[in-house]
Amino acid sequence: MNEEKEKLDITIKSNTRDLFAFTKLVPNRKKRFERASSDPITKDPMNELAVRLHPNRQYLVINEIKDETKSAKTFKLTPDPDSNTKELAYFRAGQYLSLKVQVNGVMITRPYSISSSPSDALKGFYEITIRKEEQGFLTEYIWNNWRKGTKVVSSGPEGYFYFEPLRDLKQIVGIAGGSGITPFRSMAKAIIDDTLNAKLTLLYGSSDEEDIIFYHEFKEMEKNYPSKIKIVHVLSCDVVSLEGCEQGFISKDIIEKYCNPPSSTFFVCGPQIMYEFVEAELKKLNLPTKLIRREAFGEVKDILTFPDFPKEVAEKTFKMKVQIGNSCKEVPAIATESVLVALERAHINPPSKCRSGECGFCRSLLIDGKVYINPVSDWRKGGDKRFNYFHPCASYPITDLEIIVPRDF
Amino acid sequence: MSKSKEQGIKDSYDVVIIGAGNGGLTAAAELAMRGVNLLLLEQHNLPGGFASSFVRGRFEFETSLHELYDWGPESNKGGTRRLLERYELDSEFVAVPEAYRLIVTNPDDYIDVVMPFGIDAYLDAIEKAVPGCRDSVRSFFDLAQEIDIATSFLGRSRGNPDQEVLLKEHSNFLKTAAYSVEEIEDALNIPEKAKGILNAYWLYLGIPTNRVNSTLFTSMVYGYILKGAYIPKFRSHDYTTALDAKIREFGGKIEYNTKVEKILVENGKIIGVETSNGDKIKTNHVISNASPTLTYNNLIHPKSEVPEIAYKEINARRHGISTFVVYMGLDATAEELGLKEYSYFISNIMNTEELYEELHNLEIPNVQATICLNNAIPDCSPPGTCIVSITSAFLPGAWDDVKLEEYFTVKNKIAEGLINNFEKATGAPIREHIEEIEVATPQTISRFTRAYNGVVYGYEPDSWDSIVPRLAMMNDDKHIDGLEFCGGHGKRAHGYSSSLKDGQTAALLTLQDLQKKGELK
Ligand SMILES: Cc1cc2nc3c(=O)[nH]c(=O)nc-3n(C[C@H](O)[C@H](O)[C@H](O)COP(=O)(O)OP(=O)(O)OC[C@H]3O[C@@H](n4cnc5c(N)ncnc54)[C@H](O)[C@@H]3O)c2cc1C
Ligand code: FES
Repeated sequence: MNEEKEKLDITIKSNTRDLFAFTKLVPNRKKRFERASSDPITKDPMNELAVRLHPNRQYLVINEIKDETKSAKTFKLTPDPDSNTKELAYFRAGQYLSLKVQVNGVMITRPYSISSSPSDALKGFYEITIRKEEQGFLTEYIWNNWRKGTKVVSSGPEGYFYFEPLRDLKQIVGIAGGSGITPFRSMAKAIIDDTLNAKLTLLYGSSDEEDIIFYHEFKEMEKNYPSKIKIVHVLSCDVVSLEGCEQGFISKDIIEKYCNPPSSTFFVCGPQIMYEFVEAELKKLNLPTKLIRREAFGEVKDILTFPDFPKEVAEKTFKMKVQIGNSCKEVPAIATESVLVALERAHINPPSKCRSGECGFCRSLLIDGKVYINPVSDWRKGGDKRFNYFHPCASYPITDLEIIVPRDF
Repeated sequence: MSKSKEQGIKDSYDVVIIGAGNGGLTAAAELAMRGVNLLLLEQHNLPGGFASSFVRGRFEFETSLHELYDWGPESNKGGTRRLLERYELDSEFVAVPEAYRLIVTNPDDYIDVVMPFGIDAYLDAIEKAVPGCRDSVRSFFDLAQEIDIATSFLGRSRGNPDQEVLLKEHSNFLKTAAYSVEEIEDALNIPEKAKGILNAYWLYLGIPTNRVNSTLFTSMVYGYILKGAYIPKFRSHDYTTALDAKIREFGGKIEYNTKVEKILVENGKIIGVETSNGDKIKTNHVISNASPTLTYNNLIHPKSEVPEIAYKEINARRHGISTFVVYMGLDATAEELGLKEYSYFISNIMNTEELYEELHNLEIPNVQATICLNNAIPDCSPPGTCIVSITSAFLPGAWDDVKLEEYFTVKNKIAEGLINNFEKATGAPIREHIEEIEVATPQTISRFTRAYNGVVYGYEPDSWDSIVPRLAMMNDDKHIDGLEFCGGHGKRAHGYSSSLKDGQTAALLTLQDLQKKGELK
């Protein structure tokens, strides 16, 4: 078996022509270059589309303000004519805008679901509906300062809380609490104007009658499109006088009374406490994970409620060394506030959008020290966990820290 | 006392690297390791460019990598592996189980074969599928081996190969370098059906087999079959973040969210860069991981410093395909779905020219390359689930006329078509198990990487513009003093391995230049 393998000698056209073809490779390439046009390229269609769908910033102005309840207002936003925002980015019903606002000298962001229909964006406006928080940092400011004509800067549409026809069942069950109604208004409008091919049953929890946002609007939609939109109000106050309402919280029994769980996709949006309650109720229904979609709920209101948060640091304020761009600062960081809030308080403006650990926009590098990462908001990539990258909006200082933060752009 | 060596951005650097994609990262790692004072600027907030990952629900998806080429096992390490091991990277890679399963669905071309790694095993399998083809396919691999040796030789020669050695030792390489893979396969008398099996990887190079340069294609097939294919165990974001960590450890400075807006040039020489954040940085050396298309058309300032030939080069070349990917987290295991393989090449017909031409149209592509990640990394997703991603492609222009309000509908329709094609070809009912889904289009590519027109595959590697003339002309292709390029648009054409290696080459060329000019501090 010692046969010498025959040496391959390949010929494509002929020996000389093949070798000649090789020697011509470089001269031919040069020739092709020389013959080509010397015009610069001025068009980049995919980049143009990307900028239209995902603008980094949108410069808007308040065109109209409507009182919805005693504590909720709808703001109609249109492109600021003095800016280069000429059109609004299209979106999918359920997405949010991250507003960037200067409040008492501090630059902050807050996410707000778009409450108008995607087709309204094509007509030139978005609506957001904001509920005033007790001692809310931004909302207090809004109530005191926002008027028709006030300029507002926002991100492009963000988030993953939208109906996905390849994944979701056509019957949507919306579970909303308080201001969590807003994305469902957008979805309902999109269903009615046929942007969205689905049906919506909405279970909407409010504390009392007075607190219900969009009461009449949803009643009207339900009346005009009974096969597409249905709403059930669930009021937690003791006495319920409103006709056709449920009293209590959105429980398994209420869900089963109005919906057929296994043939619906659930969309849950509301404050953190509602999630905890509804989560437990949904669990009793034994639904596959894919049938339950959750909107991010923002920063955790009280980090001390997390059992593994080290309580002994609760009262502490730590020193945080922050490197950003070409500057380096040492700033205080309160254990019970997110690192992102500490940065904003110190007039360091890192990028942020969701403030829920989800978008990764605030991704920063922990050089030294320890943070507590709230487990329900830990959406980091595996590699980031291994190499000490963290999301400041979902992380709390529990020692002195040294971090590197990216600049916003 | 600060624990790290990290400092703020300074106002001058020996080298500024634009872009932290595969090429930019290795360029930075190489230079930083050698103590060069460098700044790596990236417009996105993550390293990696296409080499990344993203999280949805319970899943972390690999963004673009299918198979890393030229990695190889411990016993036979490939160049890519040796390169990353140089930097003592803290990141694991695992072997992909089989080369690929090829399914061609039309009755006339019908085929369904699973091809193994290892030259002998591959030859056995192809002989079984196409009796009598063994010897011709074996000569394809013999030739590929010679070409592979010759291209390594060329790579080492940095544009100045010894002509005599070339002629004497690499004649088969010389004689094939100007031809397409189809011309080579015909010269070797490989039967049609065996060609179809051998050409399954064509989508990785993105141009049809009657055009794709044989040097590049044969080396690729040979490299995969001989050394196997590998993937990062914790997605590409893990190894790119490991590179980020090494660059910092070596003393390099990385700044994310920072877009270079101008490369300042004076009298044909680089003098600095300006960024979207208002940084003005002095430097005489830039390594651009952005394509020549973007660099010359958008970055060089003033425009009068762009030589005419730079525009001509870009216009003479053809921009390659962009990708379309459907990422799915499924609530069933691969086993439950009947998916046994990691990599699936699926098309309706075998003719790559027809398949390619269709990619001009905004329709459901008939060709796809699909991955079931769990068949290489069983625990890459939670128990009871698996990750499947379908990749297809579009040519520049296909998406140009999409209206804003149609965009989401169009992309869903195409995604649905690709899912249907996969289900029909494999019988796996994936649609009903979708728990998470994300669809990326050429627009998405553009959004995250800012690549010109969403192009992923650099410039098309036709024979006239393939690696041989690119490497041979790498000294002619320089038009601005101090400017080097690296990455998928570079000398070795696109792909992870090519880009990673190209980054190192650009670093070494820059270092040479720094030393020659005595500019190293
Ligand atoms: C995806 C998403 C969508 C949402 N959609 C809506 C919606 O449609 N409608 C709606 O009403 N709400 C919505 N929200 C909630 C909304 O984003 C805000 O959380 C809410 O309006 C409260 O904001 P606030 O600033 O008034 O109150 P808070 O955020 O509760 O204000 C207190 C916060 O401000 C910080 N703070 C206090 N003082 C300072 C200071 N000096 N400098 C910096 N920070 C300080 C505190 O640490 C604390 O974190 C949404 C949230 C998410 C995550
Ligand atoms: S702002 Fe989204 S992750 Fe922090």
